[in-house]
Amino acid sequence: MFIHHNKCISPQQTFEKTDWEVLHESVENKLKAIEPSYEGIPPGVLRRMGKAVRMGVGCALPVLQGVQADGIIIGTANGGMEDCIKFLNQIIDYEEGMLTPGNFVQSTPNVIAAQLGLMTRNKRYNITHVHRGLAFENAMLDASMMLHENPQAVYLLGAVDEISAYNYNIDHLNGWYKKEPVKSRNLYSSITEGSLAGEGAVMFTVSNQETNAVAKVKGFDTLHTTNEHTVKEALAAFLKKHLHADEKPGIFFTGENGDNRMLKYYSAAESVFDEATTIARFKHMSGEFETASAMALWLACNLPDRLPAHCIKKEGAANSAGNIIIYNNYKGVQHAFICVQKPVNNKE
Amino acid sequence: MEITEKEQLKQQLKQQIIQFLNLTNVKPEDIKDDQPLFGEGLGLDSIDSIELIVLLSREYGITIQDPKEGRKVLVDINTMVDYIIQHRTK
Amino acid sequence: MSILVTGIGIISAIGNNVNENRTSLINKASGITTLSLFNSRYAGLRPCGEIKIETTALKNRLNAFEKGVTRSSLLALHAFDEAVADAKLSLSQLQHPRTALIGASTVGGMCLTDELYHDANKTEDGSEYLSSYDCASVNLYLQERYKTGGIVNTINTACSSSANAIIYGARLLKQGYADIAIVGGTDSLAKFTINGFNALHILSPDPCTPFDRDRKGLNLGEAAAFLVLEKEENTKGKTVYAKIAGYGNSNDAFHPSSLSDAGDGPYLAMQQALSEAGLHPGSISYINAHGTATENNDAVESEAMLRLFGEVPDFASTKGYTGHTLGAAGAVEAVYSVLSLFYQEVYPNLNFQQPIENKELIPVPEYKKKSLRHVMSNSFGFGGNCSSLIFSTV
Repeated sequence: MFIHHNKCISPQQTFEKTDWEVLHESVENKLKAIEPSYEGIPPGVLRRMGKAVRMGVGCALPVLQGVQADGIIIGTANGGMEDCIKFLNQIIDYEEGMLTPGNFVQSTPNVIAAQLGLMTRNKRYNITHVHRGLAFENAMLDASMMLHENPQAVYLLGAVDEISAYNYNIDHLNGWYKKEPVKSRNLYSSITEGSLAGEGAVMFTVSNQETNAVAKVKGFDTLHTTNEHTVKEALAAFLKKHLHADEKPGIFFTGENGDNRMLKYYSAAESVFDEATTIARFKHMSGEFETASAMALWLACNLPDRLPAHCIKKEGAANSAGNIIIYNNYKGVQHAFICVQKPVNNKE
Repeated sequence: MEITEKEQLKQQLKQQIIQFLNLTNVKPEDIKDDQPLFGEGLGLDSIDSIELIVLLSREYGITIQDPKEGRKVLVDINTMVDYIIQHRTK
Repeated sequence: MSILVTGIGIISAIGNNVNENRTSLINKASGITTLSLFNSRYAGLRPCGEIKIETTALKNRLNAFEKGVTRSSLLALHAFDEAVADAKLSLSQLQHPRTALIGASTVGGMCLTDELYHDANKTEDGSEYLSSYDCASVNLYLQERYKTGGIVNTINTACSSSANAIIYGARLLKQGYADIAIVGGTDSLAKFTINGFNALHILSPDPCTPFDRDRKGLNLGEAAAFLVLEKEENTKGKTVYAKIAGYGNSNDAFHPSSLSDAGDGPYLAMQQALSEAGLHPGSISYINAHGTATENNDAVESEAMLRLFGEVPDFASTKGYTGHTLGAAGAVEAVYSVLSLFYQEVYPNLNFQQPIENKELIPVPEYKKKSLRHVMSNSFGFGGNCSSLIFSTV
């Protein structure tokens, strides 16, 4: 599967002028997305959209410009959580009285894919995967199967999740966000439980066409386990499957998130690589959310010539990125590996 | 009711509509009293019509059960204000 | 390669298992009643397809005492267990890396509307359900309980969700990502959905009347259903209910909560399912229609069937029995379609009196035995998400 057009709305400067060196910091333990002005969305439509839908649609429209996609495949754990709870609050606050249905209609997670179908008049394949921390990977598997079934096709593949006051509360109560204030730049030196909240939207067009592709997804795999040894074995098997014996990945890009309970998984995974491979991290840029691995994939597609120091955990000997291996886990249960190959960099 | 009071009610209703339907790009003065709310006019749709019925209920204590009745009331600002004056309970 | 159905399980308002459901369908016994198991202002006003087993009783029955398990998950477990036992899958088969679990839900843990309100708005004193509200919580629970070993996924395309879960599972088998796929969906009744559909003015005050001229809207229902899918070469000696012959997914691209008059989405989904199955419209012997009994759905579905088939085959909606079970509906009706094929019988449409003007379509009025080769099952959802499945005899 090859990645062509791609856009990312994130807490960092990724949408209009990408700049990896400027690091936007978390505020009150949240890394909020920098939203653009959404000029492509008619005001009459924009007024109904909650943040997740806005980010998803606003991110996808430029990616779809000039492309007649053969399908729209979205991964999102919650879709428009904000609208969902607004409707819920109406139910309780007005004691099931007369309620406005707008929030209800906007609250279903399939609204992003549906709205994109509506706005681009696309009557083809349209689906939303919501499997929490593997929502994006399942969407990617769907896209990959669709490309196998329709080799000439082009699909929109994307992921969106938002920080709403409500899902932040729920995950905070559940211990998934830090209780003490932590700045994103210090995320990895934090030794407590929990991470920082994040959000964003990532959209790709994917096809089997190598020409002009920004990257190739050579393979990906998912697993559900709480055992770090199982993760390590699965990663080793994954590398064996997708890389030749003498191929060393340039970068191992991990979802380490400052939560001390998750470290054992990342340490076990890192131990699979030798000194050739640079170990890098991205959650200080994205924050933690269910589809953060989609942002990691976008970052891998848009790597600068030199990886900024703030991403590097351990510098490797290999001088070109070549193959990039992404490993992310969500809440210590849902794990995913992605193997990305960038076009060979001949600059050196 | 004094004309000015009616004008005030119109202003208030326009603001409520803008706020309720999140018409962020519309100012009260952009909505003309006889401009159709639906279709070519303000461009509202069927979900908005239900939202407006909820607005009438919450702000003016008016209950509209029959959708046909709703269609007669929700034509433009003039028809809404006339209906509110006749039927408001708060 | 043929994808076969080797196990089925279901719990709905018309029965706690496959046999009870079939008996109700044959006897025209509706499950639409007054809500009695939870408080809602609409309990006496909007009849529902409620499963009359309290959540605690479900826990006891299933021996499911894990923390934070919701009614949606319990219903799913109930149907999952039945389907797995029916297909005679062992625990080691469930745990095999090539056994996939693909589920669907739209309500998930939001059936706990009041608890969610509390947890979402407070900053301390969280309930035991903090990890249980999203749609994925159901399949993560099933995965955790049985340690299923393969791909796990959750799909939400509103009311067509579990039809898409079935399609996804079939494609995983075809492309070699799994050898067994357990596919289905669940949704329980919730204040959230009752108030949502009520706010849209599409809940009927009476038992619903699909495809009737004077229909007044839908009844909500709760249910879960699962199917076990296997590749033909692995099914020697097993009971095989049917094969999945075709499927289609299309978006109507018209409106967030209603379908276009011409019904392009439904038309394209059905057409694609036929083409995937390599069948002509004339070869479909029965359609389990989406037939929610809303003004919009039934008119549009009729129009799309007329466009595609000209002469519309026998069709019926089973929503009059179960209510609209949202994310479970596609799987529930897939089970009914599979039963139709297996027993060579057609289940009738309840509460029909007069055909819709200008459509003049009359759904099957009485139970009958019929020779069936290919059965179509439709599921359409908000956001224009339309899917259609075709099951065939083996």
